[in-house]
Amino acid sequence: MKKSLFIFGIFCTIVFSNLAFAQAVTLKPYQKGDWASLTKSANGQPLAIHIWGVTCAPCMKEMPKWGKFLTKNKSDRVIFLQVDDVPVSVIEKMLVRANLAQANNYYLATSFDEYLRYEIDPKWRGETPITILIDRSDKVERVVGPIDFSDLKKWFNR
Amino acid sequence: MMNLFSHLPLNTFANKAILFCAISLGAVGQTLAQMDHSSHMMAGMTKPSACEGAGLECANAATPFLTPDGKLYLTWTGGGAVSVAQSSDLGKTFSTPIRIAEHGKSLDTGGDARPQIVVKDEHIFVTYAFFKDTHWNAQINKVYSDDGGKTFSAPVSIVKDSSSQRFPSMLLEPNGNIFLSWIDKRVVAASKNTPNEMLGGSIAYSFSGDGGVHFSPEKIANKDSCECCRIGSSLDSKGGLAFVYRAIFPGGIRDHASQYIDGNKKLGPIERVSLDDWRSDVCPHQGPTIAISDAGTFHVAWFTLAAKRQGVFYANSHNQGASYSEPERVGHADGNVSRPYLLAIGSNVWLVWKEFDGTKTTVNMKVSQDDGNTWTESKVLAETSAYSDHPLLIRVNKEVYLSWLTRDEGYRLTKIGVAQ
Repeated sequence: MKKSLFIFGIFCTIVFSNLAFAQAVTLKPYQKGDWASLTKSANGQPLAIHIWGVTCAPCMKEMPKWGKFLTKNKSDRVIFLQVDDVPVSVIEKMLVRANLAQANNYYLATSFDEYLRYEIDPKWRGETPITILIDRSDKVERVVGPIDFSDLKKWFNR
Repeated sequence: MMNLFSHLPLNTFANKAILFCAISLGAVGQTLAQMDHSSHMMAGMTKPSACEGAGLECANAATPFLTPDGKLYLTWTGGGAVSVAQSSDLGKTFSTPIRIAEHGKSLDTGGDARPQIVVKDEHIFVTYAFFKDTHWNAQINKVYSDDGGKTFSAPVSIVKDSSSQRFPSMLLEPNGNIFLSWIDKRVVAASKNTPNEMLGGSIAYSFSGDGGVHFSPEKIANKDSCECCRIGSSLDSKGGLAFVYRAIFPGGIRDHASQYIDGNKKLGPIERVSLDDWRSDVCPHQGPTIAISDAGTFHVAWFTLAAKRQGVFYANSHNQGASYSEPERVGHADGNVSRPYLLAIGSNVWLVWKEFDGTKTTVNMKVSQDDGNTWTESKVLAETSAYSDHPLLIRVNKEVYLSWLTRDEGYRLTKIGVAQ
């Protein structure tokens, strides 16, 4: 009986963890030319676009903090764009781990080259993480490196 | 499924529950599989016709090696594979490429990653990195040929440590020894869950006296370095060598440092190239470059987004890195400047870099014939309007060549100068 219950526990853990993973992840492709439509979605409201990469260690360290931030600040609008050339399944796993599976997620489906970066920000050379902040008056700021989340909250409340 | 569970007695609640969960697991697994499939389908439906083959035409990074008799060996990464080809006419035509390793999406094709190659007579030695697990721990592999490239060995790990290693950088010494440096995570991994947990990686190096069969011992040159930028390295004329990298200084400042190893393999101190004060845990994916002139001058160029200066800069040192000249900007201050690369012969120094104006990418060059005291005006060497690799410089005797891979124009090896 004990053995059966143990097996039952393991099965259900697997089932529900798979169920959570299967139901949760939203991830859309992004390519050159998409930036205008992405930023247009700001529509006069503050919008943060966070650009990260799975192979970037500082990004991986920071993503769970983004997950916590959005859990506390559900109305703040953040878009995530993953730019490393890695399998989609790996991005999904990271997003689940960071509690960002249901966030507004994109992954790069084109070359990570000068053209793509220039369209996003002419001064961006490809460093990650980087966050592009677009305020109510469409003023754009660039934060290179891990973000200060208290500053980010103040920026959203401005 | 009935057969699979037919041996289970179904007369208890627990076992019925097991069956229920197992069936659910199958259903969820199917759902998951469908979802994964649809994710990829979604990507496939909107993804442009990307170049995804293993050929040179789809490569993201190509690294050349020129033998003293002018034979070109090229290795590249593309389509998840590492390939090698040879050219007897300086890159106009190539032999049939040989895929020497395949890793699919696990191959390290990051912004600063590239395979390395050195050739001595019939011995071709290639290194590259790939991600070996889902936590993005990497491994540096070696592949070699002893018959001039007719056959290659199977890829095997070079480094004995099992934590994580990326960004191999190789030099072939005149005596045939191979110097290998790389970014190593063993020190950082050991610090995990301790009060002194570290960020970044470490700079590691080793020598091989048998063509890369053995590298020993593995040494840490600096335990505190950036983990996502290539290492630059160069031989000097006295049997020594130097390497430059993005270090982590106290306070989390990620500025550049150089170190010298003399002809007796004695490692010198960590020397700061400049006080940029780049205080940020960011991955720029842009490592520095170094070239050493016959007089022993270190010529260094690097990218920074520091508080004091932002862009690509150049400095030199006449005392093996103990002090460096004031940094000088490379390229236009308001331009999108990146990927500097240096080469020195005698007192001649060539510096190339990329500039992007929103429409086209150019490779620009400056030359010094007096060991970096004065430089020519900047000159455009080549341009492209699509994806391009880093510009690299190689030499045959006194002739200097620009090696540049672009998606539209293909691979180009262009003679750009002769040492005076």
